[in-house]
Amino acid sequence: MMVTVLWLSLGCVQQPEADVTPSPRIVSLGGPVTELVYALGRGDTLVGRDTSSMFPEEALRLPDVGYHRQLSAEGVLSLAPTLVLATAHAGPPEAVDQLRAAGVTVLLLPEDATAEGSRARTIAAGEALDRKQAAQALVEQLDAGLLGLSPLTKAPKVMFVYARGGVALEVAGQETAADEMIRLVGAQNAISGYTGYKPLTPEAAIAAAPDVLLMTARGLESAGGEATIWENPALMATPAGHSRRLIVMDDLLLLGFGPRLPEAARQLTSALAETQTSP
Amino acid sequence: MTSLTALSPPDRAQLFGLVALCVVLTLAVSLGAVSISPGQLLFAPLSRLGLTELSALTPAQEAVLWAIRLPRALLAVGVGGALGLAGALMQGLTRNPLADPGLLGVSSGAALGGAAATVLGGAWSQIGLPVAAIFGGLLVWAVVMAAARRDGAAPISTLLLCGVAVSALASSGTGLLLFIASDEQLRSLTFWTLGSLSGASWSRACLVLGALAVGLGLTARAARSLNALLLGEAEAAQLGVPVEALKLGLTVLVAVLVGLSVAFSGFIGFIGLVVPPLARLFVGADQRRVLPMSVVLGAGLLTVADLVARTCVAPAELPVGVLTALLGGPFFLYRLRAASPEV
Amino acid sequence: MLTVSNLGVSVRGRALVRGVSFGLAPGELLAVCGPNGAGKSTLLKLISGERRPTTGEIVLFDRALTAWRPRELAQRRAVVPQTSPCDFPFCAWEVVMLGRTPHPSSARDRDIALDALDAVGASHLAERLLPQLSGGERQRVALARAFAQLHGVQGPGLLLLDEPTAALDLQHQESVLSLLRRRCDERGDAVLIILHDLNLAGAWADRALLMMEGQTLADAPPEEAFTPTLIHRAYGVTVRTLRHPDTGRALLVPARADTRTQTLTPPPKP
Repeated sequence: MMVTVLWLSLGCVQQPEADVTPSPRIVSLGGPVTELVYALGRGDTLVGRDTSSMFPEEALRLPDVGYHRQLSAEGVLSLAPTLVLATAHAGPPEAVDQLRAAGVTVLLLPEDATAEGSRARTIAAGEALDRKQAAQALVEQLDAGLLGLSPLTKAPKVMFVYARGGVALEVAGQETAADEMIRLVGAQNAISGYTGYKPLTPEAAIAAAPDVLLMTARGLESAGGEATIWENPALMATPAGHSRRLIVMDDLLLLGFGPRLPEAARQLTSALAETQTSP
Repeated sequence: MTSLTALSPPDRAQLFGLVALCVVLTLAVSLGAVSISPGQLLFAPLSRLGLTELSALTPAQEAVLWAIRLPRALLAVGVGGALGLAGALMQGLTRNPLADPGLLGVSSGAALGGAAATVLGGAWSQIGLPVAAIFGGLLVWAVVMAAARRDGAAPISTLLLCGVAVSALASSGTGLLLFIASDEQLRSLTFWTLGSLSGASWSRACLVLGALAVGLGLTARAARSLNALLLGEAEAAQLGVPVEALKLGLTVLVAVLVGLSVAFSGFIGFIGLVVPPLARLFVGADQRRVLPMSVVLGAGLLTVADLVARTCVAPAELPVGVLTALLGGPFFLYRLRAASPEV
Repeated sequence: MLTVSNLGVSVRGRALVRGVSFGLAPGELLAVCGPNGAGKSTLLKLISGERRPTTGEIVLFDRALTAWRPRELAQRRAVVPQTSPCDFPFCAWEVVMLGRTPHPSSARDRDIALDALDAVGASHLAERLLPQLSGGERQRVALARAFAQLHGVQGPGLLLLDEPTAALDLQHQESVLSLLRRRCDERGDAVLIILHDLNLAGAWADRALLMMEGQTLADAPPEEAFTPTLIHRAYGVTVRTLRHPDTGRALLVPARADTRTQTLTPPPKP
């Protein structure tokens, strides 16, 4: 009994924290956001990331706070962050409010999946991390990279295919990240006439008549691999299916619109050019 | 003060349940991803009132304790209790010891509301979700009641069938929405479906606890009638119970309790279904005991499940609905084997 | 106490009960008999208020049935249904205590319940769980519940019973009916009881209502109601009348041929 009281009172007599400006401790939420932090040279200040932050490798060694749309405020707070960098996708809104109420600065970067959005994100992140010059350099890199893209001889029709839950195949219409990427490199989205993702049907595929199929690495895996793709009757009937033209790229690289955007654009362009030249 | 042994087993069980709930609640407030020492906890209320500088909490710890953990623990108590009460009422209403509170379609309606808010809501999707869920649940309930009503009476069997039919309709509506949902929306919906208390706030906790208190109060007064209803609708009517009015009141209460729970914490299954029979194992069939015991057990179970959910993989979180089944299932099976054959 | 005039109920054009009229005075035990589908249970449900009639009137305790508030009526009228499936772990005494629902809550409720169980000879079942009881035991508990419901009522009460003896053995059949008889004689209660067993009705009832296809064939003391002609009309079976060696009352047995299983073919219509 006495020991308990003693122990408890020891816990009570705690020195207040010394008033010293702490070194920044940043939690970044969202794959592109984490990439940006590293690209701006502030990777060493990161103390946590979310599940979708898979690049660079060092990020994977950071504590994972879970899916950025379903945060646990206390979990984030246990990392004692001074700043949380995220996009408007972060949630639930109550958790974000709780973080702010706890005295943590939560900065929401613009979230649009476009080249312009990428520029805005980079600038905003540069401001937040006090790396304005590095941010400027990244933006210039992006502009140069996009300008320097070798034009494609003929805008090929590209169809982005996504496997929802590994079962139903869907294709990307307008106003999707995939659509933006396709148009950014000067190609044409084979699917037009609707926005968002729609299920793949043989009629739609034949009408679209894509020259090339585009998929992400994880998407292809969950769809069952390349063999399964070519067995799909809807896809078999397309020009892409006849010539077996499929481009596969890393998810975050292709759709993240993060600092690696110029690299992604270059990769996509050269892959497309290859498909045009090969028989 | 009567000695413990002088109390009948059901009363003892109720007392223990209440004590256990208090212990669990204390644990829930004490433990979490952010460490707060017991001493700090002890003096926290005084510190809050500015009465002492001892064991001052850092701003982060303060925020965690008062703005995150306490409302979250209270929300767990509120939602767990509400689901337990709704389940007990539903089982009494349908005279089926294994009826689920979602039987009248309220859960499907809430799911439809939530899906609609997520997929169609655009900018309002996150804020609008709880409201849409409550609205969806009540709307479906109203449709079911109207469909089952004939000559001013809605027999339970008809209510159930209508509930099944309207549930199916609501589910197909939800399915359609899922079909057109984007990947992000789908992931959000999935997480919401799995249930989480991370969206806890004081207003939500107070709202649910308030509804629970009102519900308990109302049903306590109607306890004798509720018991009579267990014999059958005709029998209860012959005992002078206003059966139709009672059914109306009960179904509204169930709809509100389930709707609020789903709205604020997604789908947390298992509690409404299994907590009442568990309560009956401890205290018998008298609704005067079963209802409060279901509240206590449901609240305790959810609080424990949430505690585990947010500490075992910190700083991330497990979906709490998965844990309620994992924790409650084996305990229920064990108690079932140890007790008499009927639940 | 109970007056039924021209009572009728139809469902989708088919009359389940048609033009039934009779009265029941305090202290009377009225047996309602008839073949399956004669409308006996429907009649009981009409009187208890479970079903609404399409024609006719029911007057209970000098007030129209529709004018009664359910709770008030429940304080003077108890119903014992045929079966009461209940899967909840109630103790027998808790179920009997539910009979006190229409009355204000009182500390004596438990004692009243135990007394009622005692009266039907089921005291030993008091702590047993309802789902574990046999059909006959449940019937006796239901009867005890009805007794508990009418406990302390001012003036005579009305008991409506739907085949309470169906699942009971010989001993309990006799004891239940003798209990009911005593209530009629000592407390002046009126009892309306559906009975399959004509001889049971004959032994204990003051009057019998013989029903067929929704209508009454007879409303008279059993001796006059259960004539072989009427029985034959109702059941299509020929019966012989014997005399009970102790009471001298009529006993009815189906006419049989020599061999054990053959019954006499019905005589040609007169």
